[in-house]
Amino acid sequence: MKNNQPANIIVHDIRGQICPSCLLYTLREINRQKAAFKEGNTRIIIKTDNRDATTTIPDAVSSMGYECLVEKKKGYYELVIVPHRKKTIH
Amino acid sequence: MYRADFCVAGTFRDFFLFRKTVMLRALLLLIVGTMVLFEILRQLSFLPLYPFPLLGSPSLANVAGGILFGIGMVTAGGCVVGTLYKMGGGSVISATAFIGLIAGSGIYAEIHPWWSGIVKEFTFFKGHLTLPQAIGCSPALILIPLILVSVFFFMRWQKQNKWHLTSYVEGYIQPWRAALYLALLGTLSYLLVGMPFGITTAYAKAAAYLTKLVAPAHVAQTAFYKAVPLDYSAPIIHVQLLGGAGPVVDAITYIQFPLIVGIILGAMIAALRLGEFKVYDRVPARQYVSALAGGVILALGSRMTPGCNIWHLFGGLPILNMQSLLFLAGLVPGSYIGSKILVHVVLSAGAKATP
Repeated sequence: MKNNQPANIIVHDIRGQICPSCLLYTLREINRQKAAFKEGNTRIIIKTDNRDATTTIPDAVSSMGYECLVEKKKGYYELVIVPHRKKTIH
Repeated sequence: MYRADFCVAGTFRDFFLFRKTVMLRALLLLIVGTMVLFEILRQLSFLPLYPFPLLGSPSLANVAGGILFGIGMVTAGGCVVGTLYKMGGGSVISATAFIGLIAGSGIYAEIHPWWSGIVKEFTFFKGHLTLPQAIGCSPALILIPLILVSVFFFMRWQKQNKWHLTSYVEGYIQPWRAALYLALLGTLSYLLVGMPFGITTAYAKAAAYLTKLVAPAHVAQTAFYKAVPLDYSAPIIHVQLLGGAGPVVDAITYIQFPLIVGIILGAMIAALRLGEFKVYDRVPARQYVSALAGGVILALGSRMTPGCNIWHLFGGLPILNMQSLLFLAGLVPGSYIGSKILVHVVLSAGAKATP
């Protein structure tokens, strides 16, 4: 039976950091995890308080063929980058 | 500004780092929109002070100031206004840059006599403030073709759906809409106060007050603090307004300090209402150093130009002020250098990952 839960979850807490840390670190991490993403068992979670990052990151990762789910948490936003297309949360 | 994240530093930085152009389009809309409004008011004789006060003859020193300003705003994480609205939203990094801005303004006061000599030495078109004045033609002759070409591109971008940004945040204001609001506010300021928004002399005044606490005699003798560059008759109320960076209550206090407080409070209210106000201070030390140093460089750039991006891009460029054109000529390469420093020095180490 196939397990839906990814084995590898990488969390980056970039709250409070200087712009454009979020986008830079996300792109670097995606490039690092390219092989793992192909296998489909990895997801990257970005915690950010930068409103602009919720626009730039989904835009950048979708052009790379990945999907980004954006969710508002208490006082910050959580961006989940997955290797396959899923419906984005508004 | 908070809701649209209308960050001028980010506009230039993201163009160089990610080739993102949507904010550059919004900035151009702001400049051209202001250009149209200023010109209409000028044609209707509603602008008795044209060009507005505090502008000087162009000097190559304006380019040097622009370069420093560009480096500073990118490494500080925001310009002189971006720092304020981000600080209002709870950013500790921007609060650090704010301290740097005041410190840098104080440092400039010490080198002002030396720098003034350089400014004078490299001044050209003495007595001419705007490009139309230097050429000797009516402003409309240059402005109208510029506006028409811009409108052509604006309509083209509209057809290509290049104005809209998809955003998932609550209460988002599209940058083009924020640009038009800012153009209207700047025009209102010119109409009522006699000049568009400016903010950096207030930083210098804050530095003067703080320096006065420890060295009052030194402040009293410092030429920069003794100067009164603002001296004009305000429209509507017809009162002579005087102001400078000195530690006294004057027109700068009444015009610029409320703007600083208003931007911080406005952003804070917006962040609180959206449930986004939160202070995070667990930031790599390198970023604190960058924000502080960036703030100092930003302040030095704004004093050495003189004037900030808000003053020159939102106010000076729409009337083709030559200092503003030279400032922009420095700001672009400065932002490029700042972006490279940010990526290769400040953010070269990765964020801590917690698998």
